Amino acid sequence: MKLTIERAPLLKSLGYVQSVVERRTTIPILSNVRLEARDGELLLTATDMDLTLVSREAAEISEPGTTTVAAHTLYEIVRRLAEGAIVELEQPNGSADLNLRSGRSSFVLPSLPADEFPAMNEEDLGVSFELSAQVLRKLLDKTRFAMSSEETRYYLNGVHLHATRGDGAAATLRAVATDGHRLARVETPLPEGAKGIPPVIVPKKTVGEARRLLEALDQDAAVGIALSPSRIRFQIGTTVLVSRLIDGVFPDYERVIPHANDKAALVDAKAFAVAIDRVSTVATDKVRAVKLGFSEGRVLASAVSAEAGRAQDEVDCELSGGEIEIGFNARYVLDITQQVEGNQIRLEMASPASPTLIRDPEDVATIYVLMPMRV
Amino acid sequence: MSRRAIVHVDMDAFYASVEQRDDPALRGRPVAVGGREGRGVVAAASYEARAFGVRSAMPAHEALRRCPELRFVRPRFDVYREVSGQIRTIFRRFTLLVEPLSLDEAYLDVTRPMDGPADPVALARLIKELILAETGLTASAGVSFNKFLAKTASGMNKPDGLTVIAEADVAPLLARLAVEEFHGVGPRTAEKLRAVGIASGADLRATSEAWLVRRFGRHGAWLARIAQGLDDRPVEPDRPRRSVSVEQTFPRDLVDPAALLAELRALTENLNRRLASTGFRGRSVVLKIRTADFVTRTRTTTPRPFPQDVENMWKIAAGLLERPKLPRDPVRLLGLGVSDGGDDADPRQLDLFGRSRPDSPQG
Repeated sequence: MKLTIERAPLLKSLGYVQSVVERRTTIPILSNVRLEARDGELLLTATDMDLTLVSREAAEISEPGTTTVAAHTLYEIVRRLAEGAIVELEQPNGSADLNLRSGRSSFVLPSLPADEFPAMNEEDLGVSFELSAQVLRKLLDKTRFAMSSEETRYYLNGVHLHATRGDGAAATLRAVATDGHRLARVETPLPEGAKGIPPVIVPKKTVGEARRLLEALDQDAAVGIALSPSRIRFQIGTTVLVSRLIDGVFPDYERVIPHANDKAALVDAKAFAVAIDRVSTVATDKVRAVKLGFSEGRVLASAVSAEAGRAQDEVDCELSGGEIEIGFNARYVLDITQQVEGNQIRLEMASPASPTLIRDPEDVATIYVLMPMRV
Repeated sequence: MSRRAIVHVDMDAFYASVEQRDDPALRGRPVAVGGREGRGVVAAASYEARAFGVRSAMPAHEALRRCPELRFVRPRFDVYREVSGQIRTIFRRFTLLVEPLSLDEAYLDVTRPMDGPADPVALARLIKELILAETGLTASAGVSFNKFLAKTASGMNKPDGLTVIAEADVAPLLARLAVEEFHGVGPRTAEKLRAVGIASGADLRATSEAWLVRRFGRHGAWLARIAQGLDDRPVEPDRPRRSVSVEQTFPRDLVDPAALLAELRALTENLNRRLASTGFRGRSVVLKIRTADFVTRTRTTTPRPFPQDVENMWKIAAGLLERPKLPRDPVRLLGLGVSDGGDDADPRQLDLFGRSRPDSPQG
């Protein structure tokens, strides 16, 4: 194998690759990136056995071939090369070492045979459709903060994607995440071809990687998504991400979304967030609880702790349906206010012990549900 | 302490009744919930099946021998948990002092109900009616003035029973009970009692507390109290469970690895039933080994994903026993449990999916 490639694209792809590769793995070859030189391009593949990423970059190939070397080492080397450098990679036939040369620098990296590298399952995934980068970004961004990290609830450790029933324009593609305390649901018109998609749960790591890849894409660029009940494939630019899905059933989340909460408050999102953040400074517990007293024209935010004292702040609000006093984890409220696109948020409450519905008046496709705290 | 009013509500053949409710083809027929193949055991049997002598925890092949037309149904714990939630919601209309023992039974302290009739018997009847109306299932209720008697009462007229034990009934009723029928008297204790001629409640009551304590330790003191129908344990609402475990002391210390593994297998099955009936979700699996020298050691692992069925739990349990190495000294006791591994959840934070964690129905 022998090729030359510019530093910048190589570094970009190695950046994607090295975040997929697990740092602590007991299987040596999983620390490696697979390099394949062929027809004018270099393919870089990394896998943690659940998630496989294949990135491709234009390169000048003088001799096609395949090998694997330590992903982090290669990344760190390329990162330290001069900007604009040209990198030459060569592994002579029969040699177990990959030689890297750039300018006056040279490195010899031990390789492992490429045929020991786990092959990506290339099975047909059944359903495929396209979303614009902008829409997929929104589906992931507005839900991912609510994913659970609690391993016993492994089926909440991801974003749930499913299609709703309904014909034509009524049918939607939904992304939902919850950790049992809060829930976020975003929908978008069901893209063509997505009608038969199975309900799936996309793992947290995959969500993060897909989101990172989307960063480099124009908002109108199309992302190809293919699905089977056990796998999902994203085609993001020239990079392909194939991931195993979480083998579990997402809970029936519809039943926790309230529909008849009668007390509605409209507040300025920014002022509200600032007040909550401010009073929560005195809440010294790991969970910062704030109490919100909604009354005509104003909401009183307060927090108390035995050690750090008391705090209160006030913001204006438009209230209908009667007064209410309710407690929340401050961080959960702030996570939601950060997602809001417009200036205001609307809280729909029923009681201090039942789910509160939070809406962004500028974004009707998204709802948040937040469970109160006893304060 | 002033006089309390305690109700014990116990769903009749709960899992099996839910299955019969949801599948008309199963109604009126002997039904067992559980796996029929291989090592399968009966998790619950319908009354029709019980007539053939089919019991919970019976191996599937034994159940089929007793009742060849027995229909096996795979358990649907997500449905049972949901129904259990409905029932608890009914209880909480009347009192917040609800202590669930498992998915299908609970103690209620209705000394001062928040709603409904003040008379505990009328209230118990109303609760039974509401359960039937809202879930289509029957329950048996026991009403008395402490937990032990309420539980004893609910077991006396099953199914669909409503039994009251008033103060005047206590002595004659308990005197007639066989020692096995006392809640809290296990088969081993019963055997030991019978060996010295204590066969009935009357015999137990005639036995001195001092003797029972000498023979059974703290459990002896408890036996002396329940023999008189005394029990002042409060109804403890929603005690958050931190762990579920089962253990077994062997009649003779075990050295043979095969025998140890066989005992551990039985414990694993037992533990899984306990996990299913309590709905408890944990993070760590704990193996307890007490050797003949009375030294107790524990081995813990936090597997991911957490085992969701008997076979996967068995792999974990056997792994704990075999690694780092099988115990060399004779083993007196084995215990297996699941603990939550120090979940730091703030109890004040309410859960969207109800008190219990959101459940993933096993497909």
